[in-house]
Amino acid sequence: MTSAFKGKGALPRLQTSWDLRAACNFIGGGTGTGLLITTALLALFGYPYFGAIILGLACVGFGLFMVWLEIGRPWRSMNLFFHPETSWMTREGILAIPMFLLGALTIFYYPQSSVAAVIGIIAAGYLYCQARMLRGAKGIPSWAHPSLTPYILATGLTEGMGLAICFQALASEALLAVFAVLLILRLITWSRYSKGLQQSGAPQASCAAINNIRSLFLVGGHLLPIILLVIVTFASELRVVLVPAAGLLAAMAGWLSKAVIITRAAQTRGFAIPRTPIRGQGSANEASSQASKQGW
Amino acid sequence: MTETRYVPTYCYNCVAGPDPMKVRVDNGVACEVVPNFDMEEMHPGNGRVCVKALGLVQKTYNPYRITTPMKRTNPKKGRDQDPGFEPISWDEAFDVIAEKLEALRAKGLTDERGLPRLAATFGHGGTPSAYMGTLPAFLASWGPIDFSFGSGQGVKCVHSEHLYGEYWHRAFTVCSDTVNTRYIISFGFNPESSGGPSAARRHADARVRGAKRIQVEPHLSVTGGASAEWVPIKPKTDLAFMFALINVLLHQSPRESLDIPYLRDSTSSPYLVGPKGYYLRDPESGEPLVWDSEAGVAVPHNTPGVKPALEGCFTVAAAYELGPDKEKYPYENIDGNTAFTLMVQSMEAYTPEWAEQMCDVPAQTITRIAKEYLDNACVGETIEIEGETLPFRPVSVVLGKTVNNGWGAYHCVWARTVLATLVGALEVPGGTIGTTVRLNRPFGNRLASVQPGEDGFMVSAMNATDKENWESAPSGRNAHKALVPIVNSGAWSQALGPTQLAWMFLNDAPSDWMRSTFPDVWFLYRSNPAISFWDSKQMVSIMAKMPFIVAFAYTADESNHMADILLPDATDLESTQLIRAGGTKFVEQIWEHEGVILRQPAVDPQGETKDMTWIATQLAKRTGLLEKYYKALNRGAGGIPLKGEGFDYSLDPSVEHSVEEVWDAACKAATSDYSGGKEVKDLEWFKENGFYMVPYKRQDWYLYPTLKAKGLRFELPYQERLKRVGEELKRRLHEQGVHWWDEQLEEYEALPAWDDVQARYNKALEHMGGTEEQFPLWGVTTKSAQYSAGNNAGIQLMDDVANNVRGHGSVIINAQTAQKLGIGNGERVEVRSIIGFTRGRAELVQGIRPDTICIPGQFEYWKTPFAKDLDYPSLNTVIPMSLELTDSTGSGADLVRVSVHRLGGDS
Amino acid sequence: MTRYVMVADLRRCIGCQTCTAACKQANSTPPGVQWRRVVDIEVGEFPNVKRVFLPTGCQHCANPPCEEVCPTKATFKKDDGTVQIDYDLCIGCAYCAVACPYDARFKVEKENFAYGDEPMPHEAQRLNKATIGVAQKCTFCNDVVEAGVASGHKAGEHPDASPACVNSCITGALTFGDKDDPESQVNKLLDQSEHFRMHEEIGTEPGFYYIWDKKNMGDLL
Repeated sequence: MTSAFKGKGALPRLQTSWDLRAACNFIGGGTGTGLLITTALLALFGYPYFGAIILGLACVGFGLFMVWLEIGRPWRSMNLFFHPETSWMTREGILAIPMFLLGALTIFYYPQSSVAAVIGIIAAGYLYCQARMLRGAKGIPSWAHPSLTPYILATGLTEGMGLAICFQALASEALLAVFAVLLILRLITWSRYSKGLQQSGAPQASCAAINNIRSLFLVGGHLLPIILLVIVTFASELRVVLVPAAGLLAAMAGWLSKAVIITRAAQTRGFAIPRTPIRGQGSANEASSQASKQGW
Repeated sequence: MTETRYVPTYCYNCVAGPDPMKVRVDNGVACEVVPNFDMEEMHPGNGRVCVKALGLVQKTYNPYRITTPMKRTNPKKGRDQDPGFEPISWDEAFDVIAEKLEALRAKGLTDERGLPRLAATFGHGGTPSAYMGTLPAFLASWGPIDFSFGSGQGVKCVHSEHLYGEYWHRAFTVCSDTVNTRYIISFGFNPESSGGPSAARRHADARVRGAKRIQVEPHLSVTGGASAEWVPIKPKTDLAFMFALINVLLHQSPRESLDIPYLRDSTSSPYLVGPKGYYLRDPESGEPLVWDSEAGVAVPHNTPGVKPALEGCFTVAAAYELGPDKEKYPYENIDGNTAFTLMVQSMEAYTPEWAEQMCDVPAQTITRIAKEYLDNACVGETIEIEGETLPFRPVSVVLGKTVNNGWGAYHCVWARTVLATLVGALEVPGGTIGTTVRLNRPFGNRLASVQPGEDGFMVSAMNATDKENWESAPSGRNAHKALVPIVNSGAWSQALGPTQLAWMFLNDAPSDWMRSTFPDVWFLYRSNPAISFWDSKQMVSIMAKMPFIVAFAYTADESNHMADILLPDATDLESTQLIRAGGTKFVEQIWEHEGVILRQPAVDPQGETKDMTWIATQLAKRTGLLEKYYKALNRGAGGIPLKGEGFDYSLDPSVEHSVEEVWDAACKAATSDYSGGKEVKDLEWFKENGFYMVPYKRQDWYLYPTLKAKGLRFELPYQERLKRVGEELKRRLHEQGVHWWDEQLEEYEALPAWDDVQARYNKALEHMGGTEEQFPLWGVTTKSAQYSAGNNAGIQLMDDVANNVRGHGSVIINAQTAQKLGIGNGERVEVRSIIGFTRGRAELVQGIRPDTICIPGQFEYWKTPFAKDLDYPSLNTVIPMSLELTDSTGSGADLVRVSVHRLGGDS
Repeated sequence: MTRYVMVADLRRCIGCQTCTAACKQANSTPPGVQWRRVVDIEVGEFPNVKRVFLPTGCQHCANPPCEEVCPTKATFKKDDGTVQIDYDLCIGCAYCAVACPYDARFKVEKENFAYGDEPMPHEAQRLNKATIGVAQKCTFCNDVVEAGVASGHKAGEHPDASPACVNSCITGALTFGDKDDPESQVNKLLDQSEHFRMHEEIGTEPGFYYIWDKKNMGDLL
């Protein structure tokens, strides 16, 4: 028997509407668009983009496929285009169309770097839609928090670039330098997000879930990749192994963080009341009315 | 196209009913239970039913229902035995039962020990009678039946209130006059969980009106949660709090702030008491004496125009005391204190500071509450009700289940009632009032039960304790007539006796008491004693030894697992019955109307299930009792006398009548009766309209005016009669060489003194081989609105919605205590007592004392479909049945010393 | 204009869940799905503890986040102020469920019944397959209210034009009606009392008011 029971009491509870499949959309979408954006930039400088575009679109497609598996009425999924006025999900869906069409065009008919660049611009829009989607989830304070938006953007780019540097042909010194800067940027956005949650409000359980991966995220996803890149500068013979390792580690850290944000650090607001009721009269009684916001 | 109709009917799953409702039937399928707004203005619950009634649709269509009669094929009985039930026809079922019953009649209705060979057990508080159709007429036609095998009676009800409440103010159940009250001190009374829509609505209105309720209890119940203030008290030490309240009223407040005229003229306070503790009586008339303060002489209490002294010690020229067994102790120039003075003296030591040591409530809290009680009592004020001017005393003290059961409960009921009399708030508007009678007749009108008795009090029949008439050889297995004089010997008396003794003595009786016997046949209806009593393991093992059990069965359950024949009766929405509603009934069913309400089939019975009236008729027919059965019905055994002044709808006893014919006659008789012959409504009319009501006077909510009109007094505060009866009972038992009831006999005190109940439990634990250190916590239980008395743990909807309620299905434990024990929220724990353990999830809360855990409801089912998979704990499993923890009325409290530890496993 | 709202008097509510059960019956929701429910909240620390029984469910916000995020327009605002779902449009993405600050939305993946996979007769009678795999929530019993109003009753002031939870409530804690009608019962109640709305700070403008005290007379003077 499946149970939709939402649990007792006023405490925020872990949402169960979106599971790992939804997280995969943010993982695939973020990484894929990050890769497409990186590829677009590189294409303008004449780098080969064919494989990276395929991989980028595959990542986005994987994400969409996973979320398609999650929705309750998959055969009606075309309905999602009905609300572009306000829904970032509709907008994401709309951007997916030209992104894939142009992708197909680039790959099969019209391999031009300018088209790759246009894909990159659309991908950026797609990534932005994803970030705003989470912000629109007002029921989940840790998603709706404004500081999550820069992080989603930063990690998408970082993950994408992490994959990009796995392509030997793309992994120029300049790109590695940009990648290193991105890593630091991502760390800053993460730290601002994490602090923002602690300070201005998310349920304790959400903060705790974010905190739980702090060391792994910091060391595995940032410190280690940077160390690897530093090692590469001294031992270039290890470049072929260490650069992709650094890229993958950085991407994986992003994936982990999004999986955690969607499936663990995803508590509802719970039920807060500014006043408790006055039952029966008496001044002592009336003074006793208090606010209650539990689990924050 | 959906064809929809609404069928008016009632819910009486708990004693807080009946409540009117309608069943929405779509295309012949019952789909919803909704309020009956036709009764919105009349019904104190505004035509609504509580959440339990909403489970009745699932109850009807539960796929696990037993829908054909069944017989047991495995002769071995026990929890571990598969009964091997096989479907049989109704004919075959009746054949088997009739054969048993006929054999039994041939042997004699009672066995060699004089105990009935037929026993019957029914569930909660008389509610089964609102569903069993004409079965009472069959029982009445049978002869002696043993009703002493309880399924929770005496331990799950408000037992001492039933007995002493009725004794002192015709109050089998007691409540505040909530619609008028301003201030309620509630010791664990939980009407928000167990009082149904009537109590819930009245209390909600009172809160919004500004009435203040103080809830005194170890665990913050739903009622506590909805109160103005929660006072966490040590379990079972409420008496200390109450005595301290009395102390503040008597010793720390101006005497004139009390209701002196009420005490003087409407209670036994001015009666003079002699040196042996009995009233000083007039040598001529035998009446108790009072001191005529104007003439300066002792006169009989009933001397016209006398203004007795309330307080003091007076020398009486000639008097006698009437002791046990009519012994007279004559005196000349003897000093006598007034009863009031003796009470003042006896309460002197019970200061709030003393109470703080006993009950762990700060003295200043107790003092403040006592002052608030006094301030709100409005002593001297009056209110006009239907043109009559009555005293207005809007303060009340009410008691919950565990306060009201077992040791100390007599004392608490006494203290509560005395607290009311001190400010004149007993049985007056705004005060503490009774709502129904069950030990006195007539059940329908407690005012009519007020008849003059001895010594200026209401008559209250008791079981004989004199040498000639005391029942030395019990006629029932719980010996209620022998052991509990106050329970009397009416229809309800036996079930209100020491019901656990009936069970315990089947296993092991004291050596100086006669051995009990199993009844040849045991009927079981709307009851599951295997889980609803204590020491469930022992209960099950005893039940397994019952030679022949006929169970009216809804689904398989823990009790009918031992049955020989299962009879599937049509349930709440499938059968017909007319019952009385309105007037003043249990809990807070206090109406401005009275009359009758119909239960009717909203849908056809499922499978082969049959209306109880049909079943009862067939039983009577097959046992050759049809004529007696119909005669009993005509007399009113079905709830409505079919013949009365100006009407006669009696059924011809010589022929069989259909279910419809029986209830058609009842409808006509009831309407003739209520309308004084002006209106006669038949069953068809009732099916359409649902109920017939006439106005009920609001004045009749209160007993005081009747008492006043009859020149009677409340038998308070001094308990001369109980003292005498107790002494006589002691003599009778000792004459038989029986000493195992000696401690209980000590409760027969004229003025109750402090009883350290916790110490009793600790001592009993030691006797069972445990120590306080081993079991450092107190285990208590609490009722929940979704389950209280519903016998509905198998209804999925109840669990669905109860999951929103704090503590449902859990062990409720104080968060700090849990932390010390290393228990996290939601973790599985084991609660152990000296007799066993129960397991469940821990729910960590702030609203419970650190020394107490609470397990709501009654669960730990192992057979009932759906319920058995819930894995919820039950306090019943770990509470021992103990003679040592049984009080003089035969009841015990839902309380046990326990330990708790973490089991590991997930949340 | 019409603005249907619910008023819950927290002084009255005792968390009995009669409304929860009544809603489940009236709307025939499957196990665990409770469009209306009462949250049982403990406030304070031992020994100063209270319980608050908080009826909740869809708050029919004036600025509903669920409607904003819905990609299909299945969730929409009606001109009576209620927020409704077109089951036939919804794709069951559950975005609305995470957008709702009141945790009021449900999605059920497959048919399930009180006692397992087979429906009881009343469950079969009322089974609505359109609700499977899509978002569902409290409708303020919109069909009933509309029909009741159409037959001349005032919304919330006659059982035939009131939500099931309001009809069932045994303590009189729930009142429903039109906030835009100055004569409505809900306006009278709100005028006489101190009240709040939940999570008001996020700008949802909920249509669900909680009374916690009588009107503070000091404020009136």
